[in-house]
Amino acid sequence: MKRFAVVTATVCLLFAGTAAANQSNTGCGIGTMIFEGKDGLLSQVAAVTTNGIFGNQTFGITSGTLECEQATMIVASAQVERFVGENMDQLAMDISRGQGEYVRTLAVLLDVPAEERTAFFVKLQANFTSIYPTDDVTHVDVIQNLETVLKG
Amino acid sequence: MFLVRRSAPAVVIVGALFSLLLGSTPARAVSVGGARSSYAEELVASALEGRLYERAEWHTLLHYDDGWFGTESLVDDPSFFAAPNGKSDPAAELEATVRSFFAAPPDSGKHPVCRFAARFEWLVEELGVDRTWLPVPRCEPVEEIIDRMRPVKVLLSFPTAYMNSPASMYGHTLLTIVTEHDSELLSYAVNYAGETDTSFGPLYALKGVFGFYRGYYSILPYYAKLQEYSDVNDRDIWEYELSLTRAEIRRLILHVYELEDVYSDYYFFDENCSFNLLYLLDAARPGLDLTHDRGLWVLPLDTIRAADEAGLVSDVRYRPSKSTEIAHLASLMSDTEQERAVALARGQVEPAGAVVAAVDPAGEARVYDLASEYLQYLYIDGAVSQENYVPRFRRILGARSRLGNPEGERSIPRPPRPDLGHRSSRVGVGGGVLDTRGFARTTYRAVHHDLIDNRGGYLEGAEIVFGELDLRYYPEDEDLQIEAIDLIDIVSLSPRGRFFGPTSWKVRTGWSRRGLGDGRRPLVYDFEYGIGRTYRGGPLGLWYGLADVTAQLGGSLRRNHAAGVGVSAGWLTHLGRRLQFHGFGRAVRFGLGEYGTVIRAGVGQNLELSPNLGLRAEVRRSWVDDTDWWDWTLRLHVYH
Repeated sequence: MKRFAVVTATVCLLFAGTAAANQSNTGCGIGTMIFEGKDGLLSQVAAVTTNGIFGNQTFGITSGTLECEQATMIVASAQVERFVGENMDQLAMDISRGQGEYVRTLAVLLDVPAEERTAFFVKLQANFTSIYPTDDVTHVDVIQNLETVLKG
Repeated sequence: MFLVRRSAPAVVIVGALFSLLLGSTPARAVSVGGARSSYAEELVASALEGRLYERAEWHTLLHYDDGWFGTESLVDDPSFFAAPNGKSDPAAELEATVRSFFAAPPDSGKHPVCRFAARFEWLVEELGVDRTWLPVPRCEPVEEIIDRMRPVKVLLSFPTAYMNSPASMYGHTLLTIVTEHDSELLSYAVNYAGETDTSFGPLYALKGVFGFYRGYYSILPYYAKLQEYSDVNDRDIWEYELSLTRAEIRRLILHVYELEDVYSDYYFFDENCSFNLLYLLDAARPGLDLTHDRGLWVLPLDTIRAADEAGLVSDVRYRPSKSTEIAHLASLMSDTEQERAVALARGQVEPAGAVVAAVDPAGEARVYDLASEYLQYLYIDGAVSQENYVPRFRRILGARSRLGNPEGERSIPRPPRPDLGHRSSRVGVGGGVLDTRGFARTTYRAVHHDLIDNRGGYLEGAEIVFGELDLRYYPEDEDLQIEAIDLIDIVSLSPRGRFFGPTSWKVRTGWSRRGLGDGRRPLVYDFEYGIGRTYRGGPLGLWYGLADVTAQLGGSLRRNHAAGVGVSAGWLTHLGRRLQFHGFGRAVRFGLGEYGTVIRAGVGQNLELSPNLGLRAEVRRSWVDDTDWWDWTLRLHVYH
């Protein structure tokens, strides 16, 4: 599973810098990556989820946005980080079932080839408790745990 | 239309020679600048000569509307226009726009080639503009956006009706830009919404109807919109894939880009979310002109029908909401299994430990899946606190993860397409008998659905009627009478069950005939509000009971008014696909103004002849004090 992109924390901090300079309410992730440095609506691709319920970091969190500074991640692109952070609960449900649109999207973001996806889903499901070991697990922990599981 | 192009490099060289000869650089700058401005004037002349300001594309891109008072743009933000009078003068706007492209790059903010990105691209093509003459030859930021976004298709997404918010009863529409990523969750949702400031219902409605709010376009990750609509508001979502080409999608994005941070006054009924999305489609495909036939109101469903009739819809998909998923999952399970899932979600039993020795792994997996879905539903609903939700959620999922994947993905049956249901407006003709007097009857309803209208594609137990006129003509007396004018008539009968406990309610206001003890039936203004409960009697349909308060005003009433409390009950069902039935009774005790008790009972039946044709029969009996009368009617309804 070496094919997963390895992006260092430097990249993330870089994003954090530009994000902070341009719009304080946008963290790192898909939006910043795609629209980094652009003002206005298209670049806002708002980092904040509208309902604010599955916002970020831990299960069932109700507010706040993703901040790159907190990401000491080793693996995963900013896109993965944002997706995992903003869909914590849905992704966990899908992983526990070994199927679903959210875990499929994770596979897409991690460039898992179509023929390896079933094995990918099975592996994540079998390791659910290692990926989500505690109640206060954050999205950063989840990404690190995913990496550990996928390397093992 | 094309200009004879001047060779730009040649002029620059000539300019350079001049400056060499004169030995001064400013002269060169002046010379290039001069050539530039004369090129600009040439383009302006060509644009005006070609009467580009009369072209449909120009009118679409500027949102011009030919109204009673001349042409005016529906966009209200001055920054959307290059000319100060651009809102009402397409020619002046064209002239100023062409000139603006030659402006020097700004120190901050956007250059006009970005501010007017879609207009720029259109004019460059139409006028054959030589970009080498432009200080800013292209809008780089938007090019980067399109490069990185890699859009491949566009969906018209339709979250269905949400009864508990007046703004979303008709549903909503948004555009979804799907990227090359092999997952729809990674798409972008383009949304147009009014920026509202009050949750106080009547004020909110008034401000909305009269355009006091500003509407803005916004873009969000699609999954964020899915969470909002499907998980939080429990609305199923229909996705209509549009057959737009890449070039058309590019134009659509350019138009969104030039509309960023630009506001238009928002009107609930016509200049609303659905209508404004049509501009994006018109901009994408010139000649489509979906915005042309704007009536007095634009419903989201009408938008979809318009897109479909224009041949834009290539595929239709259905995304069930969380509550639809819960109901479907429960329908696959026994009562005992359902009760276990509820107990797990409510924390009354603990999930199994590390070892799960399931006799029936598929059944066990369903119990845990239902438990986690339902727990999430309870959490969103506020019935479970976060402190309880998080550990319970994680333990249920942990237990579920040990059960493997015994069933594969469950597919939820697709209900009838909402856009194929009956049309929004309705005309009725027929007649009837009031006691012994015969009458002819005609009715007209602006929008949109009552409890027993043809039901395909509509929400069961939901009635949303705005503006209905009911006229009767009694030939014996040569008397034409208004029987009723319904201003607002909303009924929400949602069944309660093991998983959901919604309140049913109704709001009605308008003029109707009210019987008096002396046998007269004067027209009075009436307001009615009620709440209650609805249950599903298995295959027998819905049973409901409501308690209400009611107030009436009218010259024929004692002291010109009446107020009272009432109860009503009814049974709503359908026989087969084509016959709808509603039996109802209501008793109101008036204690203020015009005293007395009014009782009414009746049945209504609708036979669907075709999706847009129905035959309606109604029988009612009313009692007021010592008098009573019968009312029989038969009507043919045409939905249009």
